[in-house]
Amino acid sequence: MKKYSLILAILMVLSFVLSACGGAGQTADSKTPSEPTKAPEISEELGNELSSFSSDVIDPDLTCTITLGNWPPDTAAASELALFEGYKATMEKQYPNVTLVPDYYSYSLSNYVPMAKGGTAPNIFQPPFTDPQLLISQNLVGDVTDALAEIGVLEKFSPSYVEMLADKNGRIYGLPRDGYVLGMHINIELFREAGLIDEEGLPIYPKTLQELAEYGQIIREKTGKAGLVFPASETYGGWLFTNIAWNFGCVGESALEYQDETGRWVCNFTSPECVAAMEYMRDLRWKYNILNADATTTDWAGAHSELGTGEAAMNFAADDSVDQPTSNKGLPIEDFALIPFPAGPEGRYALAGGTCYMFSPDITPDQARALMAYLKILGKLPFLDDDIVAGMRADYAAKKDRGAPVLPAISAWNDEEYNATKRAIIDEYCNVDMRLYNDFFDSVSEGTITLKAEEPVFAQQLYRELTAVIQRVITREGADINKALKEAQESFQEYLDDEINS
Amino acid sequence: MKKISIHKGRGKRTEAFKSWLIMLPGLVLMTFFVWEPLLESVRMSLYKTENVELVEFIGLKNFISVIGKTNFTQALINTFSYTFWSLIIGFLLPIVLAMLIGETVRGKGFFRTAAYLPNMLPGLAVIILWSAFFSGGESGVLNILLSKIGIPKQTYLTEANLVIPIIITVATWKGAGATALIYMAAMASVNTELYEAAAIDGANVWQRVIHILLPSIKKLAGTLLILQIISVFQIMYEPMVLTKGGPDNASLSLMQLMWQYAFGGSMDYGKASAVAVIVTAILLVMTAIYSYFNRKESDWD
Amino acid sequence: MAKKRLQHTGVIRDYDMHSLPVRIGYAFIYVLCFIMVIFAVFPLIWVILAGFKDLKEFMSSTKIMPNAFNFGLFLKTWSQLDLAKNYLNSLISVAGSVVCALIFNGLLGYGLSILKPRGYKLVKRLVMLSLLVPATISIVPLFMNIQRLGMGNSFLPLWLSYGANAMYVVLFIQFFESLPQSMIEASRIDGCTPIQTFFHIVLPLSKPICAVVAIFAINAAWSDFLLPYLVLRGGPLQTVMVRLFVFSTEQTVNADTMMRSVVFSMIPPIILFILFQKQLTENSVSVGIKG
Repeated sequence: MKKYSLILAILMVLSFVLSACGGAGQTADSKTPSEPTKAPEISEELGNELSSFSSDVIDPDLTCTITLGNWPPDTAAASELALFEGYKATMEKQYPNVTLVPDYYSYSLSNYVPMAKGGTAPNIFQPPFTDPQLLISQNLVGDVTDALAEIGVLEKFSPSYVEMLADKNGRIYGLPRDGYVLGMHINIELFREAGLIDEEGLPIYPKTLQELAEYGQIIREKTGKAGLVFPASETYGGWLFTNIAWNFGCVGESALEYQDETGRWVCNFTSPECVAAMEYMRDLRWKYNILNADATTTDWAGAHSELGTGEAAMNFAADDSVDQPTSNKGLPIEDFALIPFPAGPEGRYALAGGTCYMFSPDITPDQARALMAYLKILGKLPFLDDDIVAGMRADYAAKKDRGAPVLPAISAWNDEEYNATKRAIIDEYCNVDMRLYNDFFDSVSEGTITLKAEEPVFAQQLYRELTAVIQRVITREGADINKALKEAQESFQEYLDDEINS
Repeated sequence: MKKISIHKGRGKRTEAFKSWLIMLPGLVLMTFFVWEPLLESVRMSLYKTENVELVEFIGLKNFISVIGKTNFTQALINTFSYTFWSLIIGFLLPIVLAMLIGETVRGKGFFRTAAYLPNMLPGLAVIILWSAFFSGGESGVLNILLSKIGIPKQTYLTEANLVIPIIITVATWKGAGATALIYMAAMASVNTELYEAAAIDGANVWQRVIHILLPSIKKLAGTLLILQIISVFQIMYEPMVLTKGGPDNASLSLMQLMWQYAFGGSMDYGKASAVAVIVTAILLVMTAIYSYFNRKESDWD
Repeated sequence: MAKKRLQHTGVIRDYDMHSLPVRIGYAFIYVLCFIMVIFAVFPLIWVILAGFKDLKEFMSSTKIMPNAFNFGLFLKTWSQLDLAKNYLNSLISVAGSVVCALIFNGLLGYGLSILKPRGYKLVKRLVMLSLLVPATISIVPLFMNIQRLGMGNSFLPLWLSYGANAMYVVLFIQFFESLPQSMIEASRIDGCTPIQTFFHIVLPLSKPICAVVAIFAINAAWSDFLLPYLVLRGGPLQTVMVRLFVFSTEQTVNADTMMRSVVFSMIPPIILFILFQKQLTENSVSVGIKG
């Protein structure tokens, strides 16, 4: 009897243990820092604009089924779902024998691979620009070159995108969805409170990283809030740090990673430039003390929350996430500004990236055709007809509707007419004081800031290593920066040797 | 009875067949959900993997590579640190709670209910809830409470020395009450006449606790101890959600390391499986040591 | 019902209460017990209070109490996230899981404890050994198996996974072994087949253990999120906990909405707890003691 009760007791405990350990998070997932961008939304009164989509049958013979992984999640606003239902209805009218199956899918490298192997991946999905080359090299995505050539947009690809979305033979496996450039989000309310405002009411913002530290200090002293929110968790910290490091001179011969003359990938975190950049991180915490309280557990959304609710004045973030602090977290649109990434002592770079559309490896030529037709309806191809203009209008009107800034977008297509028309429509719906954004867009278009893509190989792992160093530096006063960087370098080098140098 | 015994031999065989047939669905499920995947992961640990395909048998290379990295050493030390702190924070508390609640007369059911409540809550919800408690800003719950007694705001989840004790505290909050009920059941099975007899012999309350109550749960405590160690050794999603393993890997656990290899972007299922096999091996060794001592003790009895 | 005089049943006996130090100590026990109650309940109360704060207040307020008790926020979260659908999904998932947990583990336990066909010991040992292996360790190959069989985006693998729970099997084994073997033997002699014996003799005697396993399974299936996440993956069948997990990893909802989702995810377990607290805090433990 006693033995029985003992065993039962054990089992009871085990049940607690198991129920506690039975599940596990996917927090450590390979979610790339590349900003997740939201699909366009639309409000219901804009339905009439949508109805202008042509309903003429274009190709009654195209017969296939496509699963749509770019469908919005069920958490999306009803209006957003309505927009996609509209796209679907249009497609079904134009191609009566194509069946569209909504299949919302939140892409991550780790969840995609087994799906692609198991044949359950949606026919179209949206990875960030860090992943296409890996997916292409592993034969995990479908070729759409012929379908693109058929509709004549192959040559309009901007060359940098061709490089990202094609294999060595020039076959195309993806299309750009949108791009972003890293800059800085500003909470003007806190700048105003700290007196950092000019006679026109515009924020006096930091042009250099040094000024960033000093202004941050003023803001902390005057308002008691954090000058800068720095999401130093997982890969985010390292991601932002690479941009800081570039501006401290970690490019060219001092690059964080490069291929030596033998073709071997080498990483270099111990250059004087990188050390200086890390010392800057140290000073942000220990000298100027401008970072938010829980930097090492703050993630991308958390950083936007801090800025949006007035807990922090500045946040390194991109032009495609301006809706986050504003319409999403509640910062009034007139209290928000987007500025260029501050220059460092050795340079002025801004990280550029984006999201693309890719396709499951098993698509048939007919499916590829249908998918291109679908993307055309979505307005993601450089075509200008009434439908697409209507779609754009609907998109921007919806943004304006919910109080998100309507801003010029950085185009992924080399098509002047297309880009000009798009810009004209945006101007029409613009709901912000462009003076709060001009410096950012001018710096990109005038080339006063150099756009730079993410580090070429195993960026996620590199970010992870650097994040760990940042965490050590900002949580332990007097941490040995050289030693920490050296350890991270050895660890990442070992990783590179394992993965590509062998 | 005689009738049956005539056909016993044959009946037994069909009966055995039928018995296996009854167990078959359960066995198939156990194989599919538990045994086969387990063997598969052992096999995977010996292969170079590309995504989920086994590319090449590489012997122990995954193990060598995994063990050689600094984050493995760190995770191993952390995992033992988790275990250490769980013994400090989580082992005695349920015993004390059981003793306290066991002595109450009025409201015993109420106390028991309150103690068990946290255990019913979904683990993920509990972790998310506690993350707000330990937020380092002025709006963090702990900071609000401390400010009431005049202590300035602190940070918690960014302190390398604090994260492990904090995570263990959260896990203890969830589980201690339920464990206490198990101890209570064992304590309640003590023959109360023993207390009476001891009292007549002049033993005071404290002496009765030491000489009668505690010995009565000794064996149970030993068992629960090893189970606790085993469970804490597998800690994973608590640090994943609370600290993401940080700062600077200060709360990274072995299982979390496994998760990082598999789903952290590198998709190295071979190395992930190697970590899994190492964890399993450590757990088996611990269990073996326990049952060895346990058997010895039983013999002694 | 006559009111019983409450008696001390622990180490402290009635006559000890004549001594002042013991009485002080006894009062102290109550103080500690109440502190424990506060510790156990406060976080729960706090999260409900936090649910009444909007994002700005949640991020900035230095008060425990919300500025206003605006139930509209809860309603908004409920409808905005369409949680009713997830609740229904969770319910279906839990129901199937409990059925599978009882039937498959029960039958396997029956075979290993009463029928004991030749070779059962090996299986029993395997089951015992599986207790020690954390489920997460083999999640990758398991997920692959499920995908290969085309069972993704369906409740079926989740239900069936509860039919392969070593702990429940062992619980059944322990209980069945404690049943009076003479009754089972008698039914066998009466010519019952093993399966008849199970349904006519064993099952009616096994209500306590079935209740325990059912409650465990309900709670575990409700709280589970790893395998459900991999299997249901953002599709229409997502459960409440899968949604919560998606929120915490994919950063699609704000912190205040997250707290309200946490509250919603706790409601069913709390209801279960209120309904079955006696079974949970007394019977499930004493099931073993009495056996």
